[in-house]
Amino acid sequence: MVTDETFFAWLDGELDGEEAKRVVAEVDADPALAEKAEQHRALQRRLASAFGTVASAPLPESLIGAVRPKREVIDFAAAKRSRQSRGGWSGFPQWAAIAATLAVGIFVGTMVPHQSGDSVTVEGGKVYAAAALDQALTTQLASAPAGETRIGLTFRDQSGQICRSFIAPAGSGLACRDGQRWQVRGLFGAPEGQTESYRMAAGMDPSLAALIESAMADEPFNSAQEKAAREKGWR
Amino acid sequence: MALSFSFENELVALLPRLRRFAHGLSRSPADADDLTQATIERALRSRDQWRPGTRLDSWAYRIMRNLWIDTARARSRRDRVEAPEEEAERVGQDPTAGMDAAVDLSRMMLAMQRLPDEQREVVALILIEGFGYRETAEMLDVPIGTVSSRLVRGRTALLEMVGA
Repeated sequence: MVTDETFFAWLDGELDGEEAKRVVAEVDADPALAEKAEQHRALQRRLASAFGTVASAPLPESLIGAVRPKREVIDFAAAKRSRQSRGGWSGFPQWAAIAATLAVGIFVGTMVPHQSGDSVTVEGGKVYAAAALDQALTTQLASAPAGETRIGLTFRDQSGQICRSFIAPAGSGLACRDGQRWQVRGLFGAPEGQTESYRMAAGMDPSLAALIESAMADEPFNSAQEKAAREKGWR
Repeated sequence: MALSFSFENELVALLPRLRRFAHGLSRSPADADDLTQATIERALRSRDQWRPGTRLDSWAYRIMRNLWIDTARARSRRDRVEAPEEEAERVGQDPTAGMDAAVDLSRMMLAMQRLPDEQREVVALILIEGFGYRETAEMLDVPIGTVSSRLVRGRTALLEMVGA
């Protein structure tokens, strides 16, 4: 009889080889155990989906401000548009003017300038790929690594957006299409002393693997699907 | 062109996950955002203690967890007089299948709140945040066997509360 600790370690993918096989055999032979596995898988899916709503929601202004309090700049073009809309367009519904002003207010408040060469940028409470990372996600195929950034998996998430994982010496992560940009869903800094080749050999960061697992709706794209998706602009 | 992530940007990119962890630990979204805010402030103040090249996420998660333990202890002393019965009853009601994930969040947060702290943190780190047993043990500074047994108790109690 398998202990609870061993059973759940197996369910969580913590066992390998002979140990895992032994649990599989027990689960296959015991309908009650199989049912328990299914219930706990369902619980985990439910936790992932409920708490996932927090991770995919835009960040509150206050939290971004806490990281970079002095980095906010005013977008003058947006400020000008705001003045124009407040100036009163005859026939322009008042709610629309209010909404526009509000939107501009949020935009101005969350503008964070690019740091030169930095590979992510923050706008409107969301983290986006920038510079070299944006370019790699938009143009590169997994089969054709260019430079030091490699693309891993490409797939659709539960909401139908295309997501791509990437790996580079500075870190690895997952980004999903959001309009014309790539929203970074996770970024994992490279552990100390690990060169790129070491990371490749050691496989994917387990946290990144977990993130992909929870986001992926179906199967990863094969190379033909990946290429076709690029030609269609990742829609 | 090489990728580069500044300390601040890497921290911002971590925020969605840190915020999710905070929701797993805290009893309300407002408390969760306070905890996230406090974690950012602490991380920025202690940034010299983070060694570039090591994992920023484990470091930040650990900061959050320690802050939460401090406030949770203070709070439990304060709240000991309040009876949690009313909240406890609400958890089990209406186990609607396929309900909206955002609605389900408050139900799951409530259920998490009823777990003892040491089970809740393990459930949050492994089942919600996706860390492995070993990483979790290192983050919490406890043996891996302790992580494993707390996880058994925590997830079993959680399943009883919310159904599957």
